[in-house]
Amino acid sequence: MVETQPSLAVKIGKLQLPYPTLMGSGCYGSGKEFVQFADLRKIGAVVLKSVTRLPRMGNATPRLVHTPAGMLNAIGLQNPGIDWYLEHEVPKYARLPWRVVGSVAGFSVDDYAYVCERLAARDEIAGIELNISCPNVASEGETFACNPQLTAKVVRTCRDLTDKTLIVKLSPNVTDIAAIAYEAEAAGADALAVINTVRGMAIDVDTWHPRLGNVTGGLSGPAIRPIAVLAVYEVARVVTIPIVGQGGIETTRDALEFFLAGATAVSIGTANFTDPRIPERIVEELREYLWNRNLASIGEMVGKANVGFATAHEYEGDEG
Amino acid sequence: MTTVDTPSRVHATLVTGRRELAPGVVLLELDAPELAASALPGQFVMAIPPSGESAATALGIYEAQMRCASLLFFVTGKRTRELSEMHVGERLDVVGPLGNGFDLSGSPRRVAIVAGGVGIASVLLPAQALIRARARVTLLYGARTASLLVEAQRFADAGCEVALATDDGTAGYHGYVTDLLERSRNHDLILACGPSPMLRAVARVAHQIGVRAQLSLEETFACGVGGCWGCVVPIVRTSAQAPSFPPESAGGSDVVHARICKEGPVFWSNELRW
Repeated sequence: MVETQPSLAVKIGKLQLPYPTLMGSGCYGSGKEFVQFADLRKIGAVVLKSVTRLPRMGNATPRLVHTPAGMLNAIGLQNPGIDWYLEHEVPKYARLPWRVVGSVAGFSVDDYAYVCERLAARDEIAGIELNISCPNVASEGETFACNPQLTAKVVRTCRDLTDKTLIVKLSPNVTDIAAIAYEAEAAGADALAVINTVRGMAIDVDTWHPRLGNVTGGLSGPAIRPIAVLAVYEVARVVTIPIVGQGGIETTRDALEFFLAGATAVSIGTANFTDPRIPERIVEELREYLWNRNLASIGEMVGKANVGFATAHEYEGDEG
Repeated sequence: MTTVDTPSRVHATLVTGRRELAPGVVLLELDAPELAASALPGQFVMAIPPSGESAATALGIYEAQMRCASLLFFVTGKRTRELSEMHVGERLDVVGPLGNGFDLSGSPRRVAIVAGGVGIASVLLPAQALIRARARVTLLYGARTASLLVEAQRFADAGCEVALATDDGTAGYHGYVTDLLERSRNHDLILACGPSPMLRAVARVAHQIGVRAQLSLEETFACGVGGCWGCVVPIVRTSAQAPSFPPESAGGSDVVHARICKEGPVFWSNELRW
């Protein structure tokens, strides 16, 4: 009588998620901000806003500009710093019925190690995302994700400090994202978040000034989706660890592109600003899609449009 | 698993009225009983674009009575154009009410409400509430030109004294509305909503004439619910509205960035450090 429902559960490192949908870092607070607007029983996890070693005021305003098919942001990692965060914020995550993944940002390998070790030690935090790709801070925010050796160094250092799931968030603002992804996996990453925002800029032609307080920003939304799909496609060919695909996902069909390119899960960010009901809509429609196609799980379609995906491990020896 | 509140502040509303008050100035009336019943003066909604093709738009709640909530806005871009082209009978989903509105406690007796342009959209509810509480309310209302001074009669009918100002002198005083505020006397509270330069002028004048002022700030929002930190303004750390945030910010400064959508959009002028 009871027919088996297709499963939407996925595994990212050691993280067992009921749904293949994460809420993107910096877009969703801790999730509590959205409780009255969205059904948080139907999300995989919330990736928290990045935290740094010291408090940060963030960038001057304006921090947001809406653009055709997307938006530019330059928040600048505003956060209270790890000490205050551990004392005042993290305890609030103890009884949340959804999983939260901590996000770590920094300006040196030592910064990442310091914050990662302390955050990962907390039971409230299910896993860690290393944000090595923030495009909106004055100094080295994005440098790590733009350099294979630095990526490897940060990831290896943090790997030694925690057994929790380590997701490394990569930048699209590089020549060869696959090379960076390869180093991150080799250094011990459990999963990769692909991609962070694409650098961009808008100018007010009336005032002749840049429209963002920070001058430059990160572009998100549907405008960057093809860039993100390609990045997942390329990364999936050189790594065997799970990929969390992200960049402009607004509908179920958008999410499907990422799974077919090789992502095990997807992350939804800017779309929450269009309609906070989008994540729950996507998981309901995903289940229907699997059902209609007679698929038992998300895993059965991961990478199926990626000709190099099945032999990804063979690439291991090729990277120079 | 702990239960989670069901999404209670996303409302599927029906457009029951649409009026073009002036070229590019639109009033949408919505059948939205829950929103109308819960809206406080100065709160806003995020209107979800019916096409789903752009980010939601923050709009002040203009009026709320019985089952009807109305939104008044200027068409300034793609998102407001889409909303302006809605028809009676169509469905508009809105999230709200959001934000902290005007603080009308303390029984103010004589209140000046300063509205500039589209700022008029957020001040009818507080005007009505103050008049119900038997305060004398003066609306100082400025716009670029006479045709954009929409709904002035609505405020007069509600019991406000109304003084107008236009940049081009086509109606009322020829000059800035804040000049009118400067000449006014005997107010014990100022409420203001409008473009940033006007709000800064209101803050300056309020300080000069020694009257406390609450300013409803405008900024580009992404989430509108406090999740993204995109819409901040510097305020003094000791403010009751300061987010429970850093012990010391960079440089040991006494200011913190508060979210306009969450801790605001209304702030006391003397607490802003902008």
